[in-house]
Amino acid sequence: MVQINFAQKSVTVKIVYYGPGMSGKTTNLEIVHQRAPESNKGDLTSISTDGDRTLFFDFMPLDLGTVAGMRTQFQIYTVPGQVYYNSTRKLVLQGVDGVIFVADSSASMVEENLESLRNLEENLAEYGKNIDEIPLIIQYNKRDLPDALPVEQLEANLNRWGAPSFEAIANTGQGVFPTLKALAARVLDTIHEQTGGRSGGQRQAGQAAPAAAPRPTAPPAPRAPQPAAPIPQAPFQQAPAQVQPTLAAPAFAATPVEPVFQKPVAAQPAAPPPAFAAPPQPSLQAQVPPVAPAPRAAQGPAPVAPLSLSQTQHGLRLADTGVRPAPPRGAHAPHLSQPPAPLPQAPPPQAVAPPVPPPAPVHRAPAAAPRAATAPAPAAASHAGAQGAARLRPRAAAAPTPTTTRSKSTLVTVAIVVVALVAGIAIGGAVFKLL
Amino acid sequence: MRISDQKLRADRLVFYAQDVSRLDGELDGFLEFSGARCAVLVDKEGHLVTRRGEAASSNMESLSALVAGTFAATRQMAHLLGEEAFANMSHQGARQSIQVSMVGERTLLAIVWDERTNLGLVRFYAQETIKRLERIFLDIAARPPSAAPEVGLSDGYSKEATAALDDLF
Repeated sequence: MVQINFAQKSVTVKIVYYGPGMSGKTTNLEIVHQRAPESNKGDLTSISTDGDRTLFFDFMPLDLGTVAGMRTQFQIYTVPGQVYYNSTRKLVLQGVDGVIFVADSSASMVEENLESLRNLEENLAEYGKNIDEIPLIIQYNKRDLPDALPVEQLEANLNRWGAPSFEAIANTGQGVFPTLKALAARVLDTIHEQTGGRSGGQRQAGQAAPAAAPRPTAPPAPRAPQPAAPIPQAPFQQAPAQVQPTLAAPAFAATPVEPVFQKPVAAQPAAPPPAFAAPPQPSLQAQVPPVAPAPRAAQGPAPVAPLSLSQTQHGLRLADTGVRPAPPRGAHAPHLSQPPAPLPQAPPPQAVAPPVPPPAPVHRAPAAAPRAATAPAPAAASHAGAQGAARLRPRAAAAPTPTTTRSKSTLVTVAIVVVALVAGIAIGGAVFKLL
Repeated sequence: MRISDQKLRADRLVFYAQDVSRLDGELDGFLEFSGARCAVLVDKEGHLVTRRGEAASSNMESLSALVAGTFAATRQMAHLLGEEAFANMSHQGARQSIQVSMVGERTLLAIVWDERTNLGLVRFYAQETIKRLERIFLDIAARPPSAAPEVGLSDGYSKEATAALDDLF
């Protein structure tokens, strides 16, 4: 479907070459790519088999430049023609604005042409489109074959919609551009019909659009003479379709992790809030990926390199409910590789605003909700209290810390050992006395 | 012979400047928090809606088309397995990786990230961002057509575009 982006002042149209296998769809696209000026074309991307049969689609963007203040771009696709690839073929048709059906003129391909047309009709219907309504051009390709059927016969066989049709010998470039231009004109007319009414007369929605130009039912206009020089068939690029070998980092092999974002209050030695005096729970350490660069609380009371104020804010800014244009990136992105910046200014006042209970923001992420602390941290008050509840609040340290637990268990173990030793000595002494 | 006006109105994707600036704001916030390199919104047909952050590739149009195609193929796989869709799709490379997530009914969020961050962080922030983006798309969809800004293609657009195509070849 047409995308009209008034923000970027662009119109993007999707055009698909359809047809039976080996009818010349990819060749059409290659010719367009070869002849288009460098500044107007993107790379030709082809997802094909080793035998150069299209597997998924071929694709090239064609930029018309700025037209009437809008950058207009055609995204041109081909589909795999073989019957076997219908599932992928159907996917490419999604959102199509116009179709060029490339028929093989060979007498032996009549049935394949018909089958492909039927398939096109079915696949369009699955997307709620009617082949009668969508801009359609038929190209009779391979006119140089000795067994090519007469155009009249092909028209009678295939063109029951009266769509404009063109003869072509795609591998020489003949007929390729008239076909493309004809479809582009039809698609652009359609777009204009749907949008032009708003420009001049400010037509309201629901009001009838101006009538479309009647579709030509007459035989196609005689083609302009095509350059006879054959075009060298240079192998086209396939680079984007190639898959690079990947190296899975062990950090990502585990199931999705949800890092718990702790406000790095421990990094502010000036006024460490009591809620963060205790180190985090040990379970937290296992949940955080080892390379996570998120600003986290220090592991244990050991002093941590001071984090910048901006880093401090990172843990809380997402909680803001309003839409907020972000500051330029890169200056303070929380990357591990960046050296911790010194505190540029004094830490935010801690006791200015009291903790504000969360006003139940509408879009609280359920995944993160269990992780949120039950009580807002005082240190977060300057941010969260001012702008609503902080969704990503630091955990309040309430549970016994791992260090305390470990020392208690050690103490108990030592006591048991001592008691056992004393008891053993006493029992031994008593036995010795008895003997 | 022509597409019904109502249907095309319903089908057509129109983004206005204020919509895109809202989307951009969300994506900027996401990039700041997650440390990802680039965030791209692509519609299901492969058209680029907006991009924030560094350009992940010199050919963002092709990248968008491939993202949409791959996601569409993945959805078909999900259907074969009895799932409605796979909401997320990740491709991991030696240096750069990409995650694609569905946003609403017809838009995809592609996030390109590198070794400066990690999958967990990207996913975590992406979850929230997707919800926010979905709300923006719902706002756009719910807006009555009369409330849309009165802008449109100029009258001579079609002719000019055809002439530009003639000049091209």
